Amino acid sequence: MDLDLDVPMHDAIEDQPVTQDEDKNSGNENELTATTTSVDEDEEKDDFKPGSSGIADHKSAKPLELNNSNINQLDQWIDYLGKCQILSEDDVARLCKMAVDVLQFEENVKPINVPVTICGDVHGQFHDLMELFRIGGPCPDTNYLFMGDYVDRGYYSVETVSYLVAMKVRYPHRITILRGNHESRQITQVYGFYDECLRKYGSASVWKMFTDLFDYFPITALVDNKVFCLHGGLSPMIETIDQVRELNRIQEVPHEGPMCDLLWSDPDDRGGWGISPRGAGFTFGQDISEQFNHTNDLSLIARAHQLVMEGYAWSHQQNVVTIFSAPNYCYRCGNQAAIMEVDENHNRQFLQYDPSIRPGEPTVSRKTPDYFL
Amino acid sequence: MASESVEGKDLYPLALLMDELKHDDIANRVEAMKKLDTIATALGPQRTRDELIPFLMEVAQDDEDEVFAVLADELGQFVPYVGGPEFATVLLPPLEILASTEETLVRDKAVGSLNKIAEQLSQEQLFHDFIPLIEHLATADWFSSKVSSCGLFKSVIPRVKDDGLRKELLALYLQMVQDETPMVRRTAAKNLPALIDLLTENPELSTNEDWDYISNMFQKIINDSQDSVKYLTVNCLISILKFFNTKGDHSHSKDLLDSATKLIGDEAWRVRYMAADKFEELAAQFSDNEAYMAELIQPFLNLCEDNESDVRKAIAKQVAGFAKLLQDPSDVLTKVLPAVQSLSMDESEAVRASLALTVTNLVTLMSKEEAIDHLLPILLNMLKDEFPDVRLNIIANLKAVNDVIGIDLLSESLLPAITELAKDVNWRVRMAIIDYIPILAEQLGVQFFDQQLSDLCLSWLWDTVFSIREAAVNNLKKLTEIFGSDWCRDEIIAKLLKFDSQLLENFVYRFTLLSALTELVPVISLTVVANQILPFISHLADDGVPNIRFNVAKSYAVIVESLIKGGAHYIDTINGTILPSLKKLTQDEDFDVKYFAKQSLNQCNELLK
Repeated sequence: MDLDLDVPMHDAIEDQPVTQDEDKNSGNENELTATTTSVDEDEEKDDFKPGSSGIADHKSAKPLELNNSNINQLDQWIDYLGKCQILSEDDVARLCKMAVDVLQFEENVKPINVPVTICGDVHGQFHDLMELFRIGGPCPDTNYLFMGDYVDRGYYSVETVSYLVAMKVRYPHRITILRGNHESRQITQVYGFYDECLRKYGSASVWKMFTDLFDYFPITALVDNKVFCLHGGLSPMIETIDQVRELNRIQEVPHEGPMCDLLWSDPDDRGGWGISPRGAGFTFGQDISEQFNHTNDLSLIARAHQLVMEGYAWSHQQNVVTIFSAPNYCYRCGNQAAIMEVDENHNRQFLQYDPSIRPGEPTVSRKTPDYFL
Repeated sequence: MASESVEGKDLYPLALLMDELKHDDIANRVEAMKKLDTIATALGPQRTRDELIPFLMEVAQDDEDEVFAVLADELGQFVPYVGGPEFATVLLPPLEILASTEETLVRDKAVGSLNKIAEQLSQEQLFHDFIPLIEHLATADWFSSKVSSCGLFKSVIPRVKDDGLRKELLALYLQMVQDETPMVRRTAAKNLPALIDLLTENPELSTNEDWDYISNMFQKIINDSQDSVKYLTVNCLISILKFFNTKGDHSHSKDLLDSATKLIGDEAWRVRYMAADKFEELAAQFSDNEAYMAELIQPFLNLCEDNESDVRKAIAKQVAGFAKLLQDPSDVLTKVLPAVQSLSMDESEAVRASLALTVTNLVTLMSKEEAIDHLLPILLNMLKDEFPDVRLNIIANLKAVNDVIGIDLLSESLLPAITELAKDVNWRVRMAIIDYIPILAEQLGVQFFDQQLSDLCLSWLWDTVFSIREAAVNNLKKLTEIFGSDWCRDEIIAKLLKFDSQLLENFVYRFTLLSALTELVPVISLTVVANQILPFISHLADDGVPNIRFNVAKSYAVIVESLIKGGAHYIDTINGTILPSLKKLTQDEDFDVKYFAKQSLNQCNELLK
């Protein structure tokens, strides 16, 4: 079950410099040279600095207020995005600015009420996300909690993340979107989101807006004080949920430290803390999960981050559950996907599903991008 | 476009295009090529001919396939831009280059564009420019040009009235049919039926000598060493048969029948597959000769027992169509039905599913007694098939059977089949059977339905998959439209409102019940709406889950829209119950409840005006 295709973060970045592919755009030479050199923090080009997209330049001091005009705008976008069509670059900028004013006010540990349906990785498999809503029911009628990894690997990262962000802004109380390890500038340059933005918009500006927005995503959620939800797993530097509340999360995912661990760690059969083969985060044993749940009076840790063939998998004697919502991951893994419904009496039900029936895969006239291979 | 040409007057559009076409990024070059018509408009016909086309000639020899493909496509609609049909021939040289490229996509587009242009050429231009172009391509060294030439003959053949010239062209085509490369032979074989069909449409055109050539081509293709060429003979044969049938000339029928049986029994399975796939159409060409039809029965039965499941799958779909052509009804019973029997138990599920698509149509070819004795057992067996698609396909096509023998005899097997499908682990199978329920309900009648199916229809409301619950709700609405409001009140609403309260502790089921009742509002009597549905919905207005509350708000608008049709009678209910509850919801603590309640209240106020 512990099959995950992620290459450890540091290795991925150092061993696999993004090659300058056929999508190059000579109008943006700075960005291209930046992608061809390995992205080392010291040498980072101005354009790749967090915040360069400007979506957070005029942050509001209070949460976004929805009124008839922006609700109409959002409903229009959602309608459009639901057909798997991309928004214009200007609309993405508008959407991201609104999203900053929603997300910046959410806590590191977002409190969530039941009933809610909890979902794992989506990875740009837009049609399977639509299948997810066919299984679990449409939002806002059903409340959703997504635990990160919306982009990379699938063909439709732009559509997927645009759709989820638009839903978040339109129905902030009905849907929660946490940050995954792929919601990061570094990882998206290797695993497809950056290239997809370049291909679909002709420049990196949409990628910059979304990655700047990712910094504002909450990193964990707490369902009725009982189920702790996050993308990766626990951190040796975090013993209580209050310690998560004290982190400064508005930044690129760091290479180490508590915030990195929450997005990168995996549960393991071995006890105690272990070194993660991913090169970031840790592995943690059943003793750690039990202690954490006991200390924080939790019944369960729900997380995503790893491919599991049945779509969900228990570990640590039901102290931890892994949920993965990308069926036939990377269009070839043959796995089922699952979501977990938690009703108002805390009963849990897992719903499994297979890939959606697709109206013919897109015709790819050029060679398959490397990240599929 | 007009405004662009004014703006572009001083911008040297051609230079701009050239710059864009030299861009490093192929996406930019493709985009530039797509704007070719704008450039041509800006330049005007004269300069388009003198400057743009020569420039494009160069481009057509030095760029990437993606750019070529767009160029080939664009040139097909360029006749107006070069000054109309009289100048259209200037477009032929660049397209000839593109028709010779290695990339199939580019060649296909170039051939398509050439054919489009050919339609607009005069006879003179056709002889002077277009036919020489075909000859160039057909006699080139490289296979790609020859392949392209095969697609161009159809624009020319029907317009050549001169027997000598047409004979020359057919001789050239014959060369393509026996070319040394299989790619050329394959394309020639693929395009031949279209050529023959053109001769069928213009019967005065062809001479016996022409038909010697065609017969020669046919012999070459049917004896080709490559299966991928030989299997194309089936379509050629059908076209040739159609020609002679249209002409009323049956002198070749026997020979052609022999060719048909030869193809049906070919050792290559792809050839047999093609024959099986086209069997009804092929057999129809011999249908006015009883003896010939009888001769086709054995080959048909052989295909039904073919070793390759793909062949059996193809012929299984043709069974009813072929049986209909047989003049002797006893053949259907004694020969076709045994074959159907064995196909219905075929080891491949795809074969059985394919048979299930049309097998029910056989019922129209026999008497009621025969159908009951011989066809019904097969259908009943197929309704028990382990593969869901077989059962679904039979159920979807039961109408014909129902018309002849009535549904009663089927129902004993039908019900278990439906129940099984209703429980299938794949939710799309469950979905498919729900879709057929209204059709079955109409055929079965209300009494039978209530006894056997109504509980099933309600059980779908509690499915774990949202889409099934949604389909179940819609199904109830459709059934109410069929059986009427009273039925719905007694059989559906009464049961829904009595549902187990434990189940309703889960908000998913309260939500489903709310959707079901709301969906029924427009199709049920107002008394039921006001006295039974409304009280239930109103009590959900205080639900602990906001998602329920805002859907109650949405329901209120639907209820008001219905009640208003009752005139003054229900005004008190609206003003006394619905509006106060809605107003309370507009003050809810949850943003979404407030929003949808306000929306709903506005809608109600509009309706009440």
